Amino acid sequence: MGSASEGEQFDAIIIGAGHNGLVTAAYLAKAGRRVVVLERRELLGGAAATEEIFPGYQVNTGACDTSLFLPEIVSDLGLETNGVEFIYPPAAIFSPQLKGPPLTIWRDPLKSLNEIAAFSQKDADNFEPYLRLVTRLGKILRDTMTLTPPPLPKITPGAALPWLPIALQAKRLGDNDLRELMRVVTMPVMDFLDEWFENPLLKASLGVSGVIGSMQGPRSPGTTFMLLYQAMGVGNYGFRTTRLVRGGTGRLSQTLADRARQYGAEIRLGASVAAINLDRGRASGVSLTNGERISGRAVFSNANPSHTFFDLVGAPNLPLRLVREVRAIKYRGSTARINLALSDLPGFNTSSGGREHLTGRIVICPGLDYLERAYDDAKYGIPSPQPYLDIVIPTLSDPSLAPEGAHLMCIDVRFTPYNLRDGNWDEQRERLGDQVIKLLTAYSPGIKNLVTHRQVLTPLDLEQSLGLPEGSIYHGQMGLDQLFFMRPTAGSRGASTPIPGLYLCGSGAHPGGGLTGAPGYNAARQTLKEMRNEFGSYRY
Amino acid sequence: MPDLRLYENYDAIVIGGGHNGLVTSAYLAKAGLKVLVLEQRHVLGGASSTEEIFPGYKFSVFSYVVSLLRPEIIRELDLPKHGLAILPLESTLTPLPGGDFLYRDADHYRTIQEISRFSPRDADAYEDYSRTMYFMAKAVKYILGIQPPDPTSLNPNDLAGLYRLARHFLNLPEDQLHTLVRLMTMSSADFLERWFESEPLMGTLSASGIIGTFLGPRSPGTAYVLLHHYMGEIDGNFRSWGYAKGGTGGISQAIAGAARSSGVEIRLNSPVSEVVVKNGRAVGVALRDGKEIAAKVIVSSLDPNQTFLKLVDPNILPVDLVSSVRKYVYRGSSGKVNLALDAAPNLVCLDMRSGDGVPQSKTALRGAISISPSVDYIERAYDQAKYGDFSQRPYIDIIIPSMIDPGMAPPGKHVMSCFVQYAAYSLEKGSWEQRREAFGDAVVDTLCEYIPNLKDIIVYRQVLTPYDIEQSIGLTEGNIFQGELSLSQLFFLRPAPGYANYRTPVKGYYQCGSATHPGGGISGAPGRLAALRILKDLR
Repeated sequence: MGSASEGEQFDAIIIGAGHNGLVTAAYLAKAGRRVVVLERRELLGGAAATEEIFPGYQVNTGACDTSLFLPEIVSDLGLETNGVEFIYPPAAIFSPQLKGPPLTIWRDPLKSLNEIAAFSQKDADNFEPYLRLVTRLGKILRDTMTLTPPPLPKITPGAALPWLPIALQAKRLGDNDLRELMRVVTMPVMDFLDEWFENPLLKASLGVSGVIGSMQGPRSPGTTFMLLYQAMGVGNYGFRTTRLVRGGTGRLSQTLADRARQYGAEIRLGASVAAINLDRGRASGVSLTNGERISGRAVFSNANPSHTFFDLVGAPNLPLRLVREVRAIKYRGSTARINLALSDLPGFNTSSGGREHLTGRIVICPGLDYLERAYDDAKYGIPSPQPYLDIVIPTLSDPSLAPEGAHLMCIDVRFTPYNLRDGNWDEQRERLGDQVIKLLTAYSPGIKNLVTHRQVLTPLDLEQSLGLPEGSIYHGQMGLDQLFFMRPTAGSRGASTPIPGLYLCGSGAHPGGGLTGAPGYNAARQTLKEMRNEFGSYRY
Repeated sequence: MPDLRLYENYDAIVIGGGHNGLVTSAYLAKAGLKVLVLEQRHVLGGASSTEEIFPGYKFSVFSYVVSLLRPEIIRELDLPKHGLAILPLESTLTPLPGGDFLYRDADHYRTIQEISRFSPRDADAYEDYSRTMYFMAKAVKYILGIQPPDPTSLNPNDLAGLYRLARHFLNLPEDQLHTLVRLMTMSSADFLERWFESEPLMGTLSASGIIGTFLGPRSPGTAYVLLHHYMGEIDGNFRSWGYAKGGTGGISQAIAGAARSSGVEIRLNSPVSEVVVKNGRAVGVALRDGKEIAAKVIVSSLDPNQTFLKLVDPNILPVDLVSSVRKYVYRGSSGKVNLALDAAPNLVCLDMRSGDGVPQSKTALRGAISISPSVDYIERAYDQAKYGDFSQRPYIDIIIPSMIDPGMAPPGKHVMSCFVQYAAYSLEKGSWEQRREAFGDAVVDTLCEYIPNLKDIIVYRQVLTPYDIEQSIGLTEGNIFQGELSLSQLFFLRPAPGYANYRTPVKGYYQCGSATHPGGGISGAPGRLAALRILKDLR
């Protein structure tokens, strides 16, 4: 057993080269720390990767959208001057119906007004005030993303102080906004939208974002939080937009890795961590599956909390309370993914026949009742036969991803439960693919004949290949009870864990998922401060 | 004796003789005010009334059990002296399809035995759960007695209130604070899953989270409603539910008795059509028959629809208040089926012998019977109704008052009170006039699965839909709490941001119903807090 690495001492060991882990690596390395990232796959990026799973096609096997990625990370790490080219498609949401015209919400809200007015003038009149409110409320939320939740109930002045600017800013926005935020954030998305709009297609187009990342429907309280969260994207439009990366989402992860390396971090692929080592209760390093041991002053895990605490640390090494808490984390994955290679662009009933309409997100969800019924199915362990489909055709904005004339379609199928009432996912995989194609055919006749390749990733596949428990794309449902100081467990303080020297830098930590980079950023921010405090003078 | 009504002039008029209005009147009169209560119906109590709907049979027409009546109100108004007698409901029986059942009662040991028939793990967890909820009820008890401070206000009173509130909660042990956060944000099913696994127990406990609420046990927010229903105390015992002798009307009568003993005048059959406002000040009310009565203080115990949009001209109110009131969610989800029975119901499950755990038939029938065999059963009932219908297989909470209060029915006969979820106020198809009996049939059909002789012994059936509840006692959309108990309209947001202090923008005009903090249930807390607010303002 090679023990040459026994002497290998890093300041920070990062388990997992997902986008968050890479963000942490880059920041720590930039601050002069000795960093190593250990990724078990041969590929970087985790759920923000691009792979040639069909010959000649660069497929986003995870997220397509980077609109929530924190702008400060982009500028701090110089991502755009080092390989990341963001693409801002002109359309935000395209919602076709079976009968009747589709609705397009454009990135430019003024452009949307005419289309909305065709459905309802009242809705068109309310659209901009609605966007202004969502933007204002989203701003308050956005500022909480990069702060450490205070250690309630034992609040110390030091922990409370960073919150003062937000409190003041919120107060300055006016009593009304703060109260309004408190009032609406717990509401069901259906109720929130009912206060503003009457047209079902508009409400569905906006409301679907409320059910992302949770097994809840539009009538469930708390879904307005997610609607606000998804609308916080760069540009602050007030609705969910899509931002692509030229060459695929993996290019973002790749560039993060490049920057980390340029700052001095080491990234090892094919390096699978078997355990986090503890020295007198303190994280002291890791052991790989090949027996190699690496020491570190701090260990960061980009893996989900259950894998981190139960598989890598081991329940016997955890406080009993933490064991109970981690066991009770609700993952509740509700998403499956289908990637299609198409020989041509599929036709939808667009108002003008223009491809422009399809450049953002295509939402198959003609109403919020449709969405709730899909949730009803999934609640009882049945993959909904009429799911909400969240579709991106990245090749419209970035033809380099596919051979000439061909297209890629990435479909997030929502309300496919992990636990099936009948059968198992291995048996049901292709049936799910067939069901979705059948549904799509109703909105885009002939699409079946365009499919040249198909990949179906069930919640089970997402769990096994990407380490997303129960297929939860956010490492844990983002309901109101699993946010902030309750994420991933009660009393959590951002990246810190009850194990000294061990930090969570993935979506399982505050603020959650969505390809924001925030958990990774917070892990670096929190530990740089702590490291400075704990270790005194530090090699810079 | 001169007819004093020629000089119709009171210190305070309370609109609505429901339990909160009566509580307010009693407290104001105790402080020396001359108070008049105006009730539109022929009977007092609003949703807490007992009526002889069928000759010889007395129904607690709407509400049927009590737990949340504040001990300080019972004490301060000396309600037992005025006839209040609450008999504890000692057991809950959950009959199951197939004849088995879950039985829990005040005998802790027997309850644990019963639960362990379904899951030994649940039996072990039961005590920890009970203890947790006890502490939670204690922790929130403080909130029940305070006017909610506005966290966005810099007003010294609000800041002081906020400080005290923060100090109260930050002094809690860490795990209790976390549990409280969970209760505020989770679904009742998820919350209970942290302790339990067996379906009958989970179903029955999670049902407390959906009472009067149009959400399923898997919807976030229902754990709060669960907590709300745990906040009751009877004789210092938390979480005990009781039955009021004489039906819930007995509670209203007792409060009315206390009020009258302090000089309150109560007039029935006196619907108020508007509050008379002069120069921004409430100076009296006008009855529907045109008569005007003057008073310095007018208190509405009705819901915001009435208080702000009907009793006054909304144009005199600030735009933000009117807008908030229009957004206030009622969303009635409950119905009631009251049955007059010729004989005792035979529950099939009680014929089952299962050793020592078998309850005597009579004991189980003296408690509550809950049709809640599993969480999924209740969730499906919700799914059936939420798009605008009623559940074909509803959740039903049943008591048979005549078993412990023989005066409610002729000898050997019984009254059976069935509270039902779910029934939407707005039906997708048809009207409630058309579908009322079908709803009643669905309830009776469901009950017959557990009580085979039921149809043979029904002498009379009264079916109350959300529409009927609204039409008869003025609860908008039939919501029993005068508005959903959801976080977006609780506490400092109830009924509207900035107006959660029992006052209204009109001087001298106040609100005291369940649409104010701390919300619904027969607690009397809103009525008392409103009275304290008024008395403070008068000083």
